[in-house]
Amino acid sequence: MEAIWLYQFRLIVIGDSTVGKSCLIRRFTEGRFAQVSDPTVGVDFFSRLVEIEPGKRIKLQIWDTAGQERFRSITRAYYRNSVGGLLLFDITNRRSFQNVHEWLEETKVHVQPYQIVFVLVGHKCDLDTQRQVTRHEAEKLAAAYGMKYIETSARDAINVEKAFTDLTRDIYELVKRGDITIQEGWEGVKSGFVPNVVHSSEEVVKSERRCLC
Amino acid sequence: METAGRAQAARDRVPRVDPYGFERPEDFDYAAYEEFFSAYLVILTRRAIKWSKLLKGGGGVQKSVTVKRYIRKGVPLEHRARVWMGVSGAQAQMDRNPGYYRRLLRGERDGSLEEAIRTDVNRTFPDNVSFRKGAEPCLQGTLYNVLLAYGHHDRGVGYCQGMNFIAGYLILITKNEEEAFWLLDALVGRILPDYYSPSMLGLRTDQEVLAELVRTKLPAVAALMDGHGVLWTLVVSRWFICLFVDVLPVETVLRVWDCLFSEGSKIIFRVALTLIKQHQAFILEATSVPDICERFKEITRGGFVTECHTFMQKIFSEPGSLSMASISRLRERCRAKLLAQG
Repeated sequence: MEAIWLYQFRLIVIGDSTVGKSCLIRRFTEGRFAQVSDPTVGVDFFSRLVEIEPGKRIKLQIWDTAGQERFRSITRAYYRNSVGGLLLFDITNRRSFQNVHEWLEETKVHVQPYQIVFVLVGHKCDLDTQRQVTRHEAEKLAAAYGMKYIETSARDAINVEKAFTDLTRDIYELVKRGDITIQEGWEGVKSGFVPNVVHSSEEVVKSERRCLC
Repeated sequence: METAGRAQAARDRVPRVDPYGFERPEDFDYAAYEEFFSAYLVILTRRAIKWSKLLKGGGGVQKSVTVKRYIRKGVPLEHRARVWMGVSGAQAQMDRNPGYYRRLLRGERDGSLEEAIRTDVNRTFPDNVSFRKGAEPCLQGTLYNVLLAYGHHDRGVGYCQGMNFIAGYLILITKNEEEAFWLLDALVGRILPDYYSPSMLGLRTDQEVLAELVRTKLPAVAALMDGHGVLWTLVVSRWFICLFVDVLPVETVLRVWDCLFSEGSKIIFRVALTLIKQHQAFILEATSVPDICERFKEITRGGFVTECHTFMQKIFSEPGSLSMASISRLRERCRAKLLAQG
């Protein structure tokens, strides 16, 4: 039995190899952290419900992608149908930060004519002593591209919920305002079950059953 | 109660670590495995006797109708390295190029290649006791060497994620760095058409070819995928890139590879089609994208794939005819389509 949700958003998680994409998603969807995690080859899929306001649930479909450059020939097919994205870099790996621009360019080309709402995520913030990217410069870069910036740690479960939920809330606001619209042939946003209808039909079934007893 | 007792007894008898060093997962079905294995052991013994006779007198293994038939029925572990080396042409390459492997490792090194490999070596097979840091001997160093040598040998490919899993299996079977290298060369350089190069065109082509084969042979499944807008790359990337490593049970993967080395890349289609056909009804019950993904993971687990001997018989009967000529035609068509898409 599928839970009731208002909308379904499709999110994509991108960024260089080893920045911790799969670990972040696993922490968010399964609540666990593995010290060693296999590299992702190709694309993987996860899902979870989030409650953005009491009683208002959004279903998230989360696409995990391989970070190695050559896999982009496969992963780029998934940009087009995503409404939101988490663009990760590793705060202890300067190069992964320098590649943020390239990732944005790459998605821009392949998402046309749609757009992806991105949040920039500085991951592995538990390793603050090995930090190679300051919060200030990351915030500046994010602002330059009109993104929010958040620092997370899958290991210590810092801001993982917040990263996904804030992004979901922002997209929800854009949908509510009509800036993002549901479109035929686009999987980014889908409308869910209308709770009242489902509720009443369940009631009917229940009462019928009661009659049979 | 009796079932629980049997399960516990099986749990006590079957080792926690398999013969290849992989720790069995938490939810491993010891009772079912023991039942399967006691029957399989009889087959293994019979095959081992036949193979010993065939290979009597040493020397290389040459391709022949008999060898092909034998290989389909499974190569015993003690002969596996030698048979793979023989039928894939890896042995011939190694003999023709003495010292080449060592020279590759002594030559000038490519820093970014080294870094990419080092990162993945540390996270290859965390569930295998021989690949852990501090294992004695630790195979991480061996894996690093094989991948680095390959990256220098085939600069067009370099290193692609997924090759770490394949090289890892080759090392576990050959227990010999140089042989593992030449087998990797046979797979990546000859048997698989352009899977791991930066464009991954061969890989993408073959996923399209599978989609076409499903369209012809199992149209209802193709319709389901189309209906939900599911790209085949989502559900089968791992099958192709890792050649079923970490997808199917270890023993089954090795049986598949026996045939892959002997008969070539179309074996991958046979395995994929068999998995899908066998579970067609189950797949067709899917009602959403996540449901489809979950079901495609589910069909790679359980008795059907664990019972590798029966499974291997099925891959040659279930998908029906699959001629190399028709695969080549499909590959040409799909490749042209992908190139046109840019």
